[in-house]
Amino acid sequence: MAENTRKTISVPLNRVEGDLELTIEHEDGVVTNAWSRGVMYRGFENMMKGRGAWDGLVLTPRVCGICGTAHLLTAAKALDMICGIALPANAIMVRNLAMMAEHIQSDLRHGILMFMQDFLNPAYANLPIYGEAVRRYETFRGRSVVETIRMTKKILEIVAILGGQWPNSSFIVPGGVASVPTYNDIVSCIYIINLFTAWYEEQILGCPIERWQQIESEQDLMAWMNEDDAHRSSDLGFFIRMAHLVRLDRIGRGHGNFLSFGQLELPPDSAVRSRSGDALLLAPGFISDGNASAVNQELVSEHVAYSHFIDYPGGLHPSEGITQPYVSPYEAVKYSFCKAPRYAGQPAETGPLAQMLTSRHPLFLDLVERYGPSVYVRELARLVRPAELLPAMKTWAGEIDPEAPFYHSVREIPDGLGYGLTDASRGALGHWLEVKKQQIERYQIITPTAWNGSPRDHGGIRGPWEEALIGTPIADPDNPVEAGHVIRSFDACQVCAVHLLKNPRRGNGRPACLRV
Amino acid sequence: MRPNLYWLQCGGCGGDTMSMLNADSPNIVEAKESLGIDVLFHPSFSTITPAQHLELLDRLTGGTIPLDILCVEGSVILGPNGTGMFETFAGLAKKDLIAQLAARAGLVMAIGTCAAYGGVTRACAVEAVGLQFTAKEPGGLLGPGFTSRLGLPVINLPGCPVHPQVLIGTLSAFSAGKYLELNERNAPLEYYNMLVHQGCTRNEYHEYQIEETDFGQKGCLFFHMGCHGPLAHGPCNKFLWNNRSCKTRTGIPCFGCTEPDFPQSSPFFETPNIVGLPINLPDGVDRPHYLAYKGMAAAAAPERLKHRKPKV
Repeated sequence: MAENTRKTISVPLNRVEGDLELTIEHEDGVVTNAWSRGVMYRGFENMMKGRGAWDGLVLTPRVCGICGTAHLLTAAKALDMICGIALPANAIMVRNLAMMAEHIQSDLRHGILMFMQDFLNPAYANLPIYGEAVRRYETFRGRSVVETIRMTKKILEIVAILGGQWPNSSFIVPGGVASVPTYNDIVSCIYIINLFTAWYEEQILGCPIERWQQIESEQDLMAWMNEDDAHRSSDLGFFIRMAHLVRLDRIGRGHGNFLSFGQLELPPDSAVRSRSGDALLLAPGFISDGNASAVNQELVSEHVAYSHFIDYPGGLHPSEGITQPYVSPYEAVKYSFCKAPRYAGQPAETGPLAQMLTSRHPLFLDLVERYGPSVYVRELARLVRPAELLPAMKTWAGEIDPEAPFYHSVREIPDGLGYGLTDASRGALGHWLEVKKQQIERYQIITPTAWNGSPRDHGGIRGPWEEALIGTPIADPDNPVEAGHVIRSFDACQVCAVHLLKNPRRGNGRPACLRV
Repeated sequence: MRPNLYWLQCGGCGGDTMSMLNADSPNIVEAKESLGIDVLFHPSFSTITPAQHLELLDRLTGGTIPLDILCVEGSVILGPNGTGMFETFAGLAKKDLIAQLAARAGLVMAIGTCAAYGGVTRACAVEAVGLQFTAKEPGGLLGPGFTSRLGLPVINLPGCPVHPQVLIGTLSAFSAGKYLELNERNAPLEYYNMLVHQGCTRNEYHEYQIEETDFGQKGCLFFHMGCHGPLAHGPCNKFLWNNRSCKTRTGIPCFGCTEPDFPQSSPFFETPNIVGLPINLPDGVDRPHYLAYKGMAAAAAPERLKHRKPKV
């Protein structure tokens, strides 16, 4: 901050789940450094200690109002592991259907209700496309907004049919699911999937999913854009036009490391096949410098050197994790109440784009190989993820046998260590826990936003979205819409970063609060 | 004049907003139009710039824009040591902002159990309270004597999350100037004078004491599986969730999430009991008569229920 041209800004924005503070240093209109600051400390993990062994099924969905089913599933998977129990095929499919419905609502609510709103920013008011953006995305009014509100609640009816309610049900239990859907329940799910698919194809994609699935490269994508007015005028078509106009393909690169824990187990004898031949529909993986490797949860660690927790050297595996908040008014180094998760010692971004890459989706492999990650490709992955999910949902709903078991009995949780890994809507989610004498002995959670929004680690390496902000042009420091695009492309969800505590002031005495 | 509304999120998970997005007939767009409410700010949907937002808050707390409805979602975090600095906005403890806005608002609504009573966040070690209650104790952030500009206490809409129809129905009444009678914890009787149990499709199993000890069955969950349905107040089995179902209908116990002591300290999925009878009996029921009734009910149970024939 020695030179006059170098300035630090902190701006409150909205439209993320929860609060986020971000401090950006910029020089000559370009971001040169960034700090992502923790916001709110709820102490969720410490609260779990000493509670009943099953209590994670009720409490952890309350970590996050938008991806509670993922927390429920992850908590149940950890207990499945401790119990050493195999699941009936019906239970696998019911769990999958609920997760997929939650993803689809999240992808579209974030995409249409939160991300696209940035295109209404006054910075774009002179673009010829601006009027179209307003007609589509104006808050509570835009055509796409109204349609998305109408249809995302429709797809969630599936979770209510199978599990009672969304959000915050607890129907996934060790051994399967607690509910016993009837034939009529399953048929109702199929009708909802069909209705939603028809809407998604017309409104969001502008073409049948089968046509979209033929797109395997950037060249194919551009040909698709020019093929039909319906493609250009869908929400996806609009996004692609707008993204190229305002060069979202040029910002938000980041480290280029990707992590997915994988999800959606293929039950035996299912007609659903994964793209990569994996046992999960969306395969797990870690990608660094373009090299993919299998995921080993033992390589996950959490650092606290720059986080408001009592120090320990290096990183700790979450099964040994310590969460002791520490705050001092004289603090000069620590700046976030988010821990810094690392995989094999490296930061990693997670979310739909990581999933598309680890499960070898040819379009996304091509786009990232050509241009690297960007705001454009990250949000594109989110908007088209439902196309990867809806056909499998329909097949699985048809394969559920209402006369076969949905649950293998688990009457007691034995002592033991377990973990559950999946991908929540925003990316890799893990619960690590220990049960002793029917009580929770320890519970550690690493959420997707902890990965994406992490602060610097023990080695001073920036977290993914801190890094992705570097080089972002800031045309107007009073209206840093470009930074908003970068942060929202990660679908920032600060309520789920369970360690977080808001840091009141930065050293310069100005409120440091970028609520994005 | 269109009533205006400011929505503030604090110590919670945002789940009540997500629940609100599931409102149906009217959905939130239709409700906003029908009620003529001017949404000044909602953290998930508003597009005003950060500077405009800070200016709006200055005007609301300064009284130059009269605030009609304040909705608070999430608990009020007072920690550490009462400073409120575990949750701040623009450098100030958020609890102070909430109090400043509440002092100006015509009507204050606590959206969800966290805002009403502290909820899940209260169970964490961050000194979380509700707006006017902490669990069952009157007080909370604003104190037992608080009334908003219209002379009303904080209107509590508990639930984790709140049912969207409860939220929209209550907004409809108060924004039209209609007063809904409140219970002893300031929640509208319209929605909170009934039990979750009422309307449950497993009621006949309950009547004849066909009680389950494991998941995946059709009978009642009250005696052994930790169901709070006969204890908890709310319309889950009247309005249903997502237009479709609710937890008890699908074989998941009610966890009593509308109650001030949620989350209860005893383990979930277990019913604390004495000699096989729940310690906590249905609202207003005395133990000797309940014991006699249940003994006779079990003896009268028909075979079709004993064999779990009805796929309720």
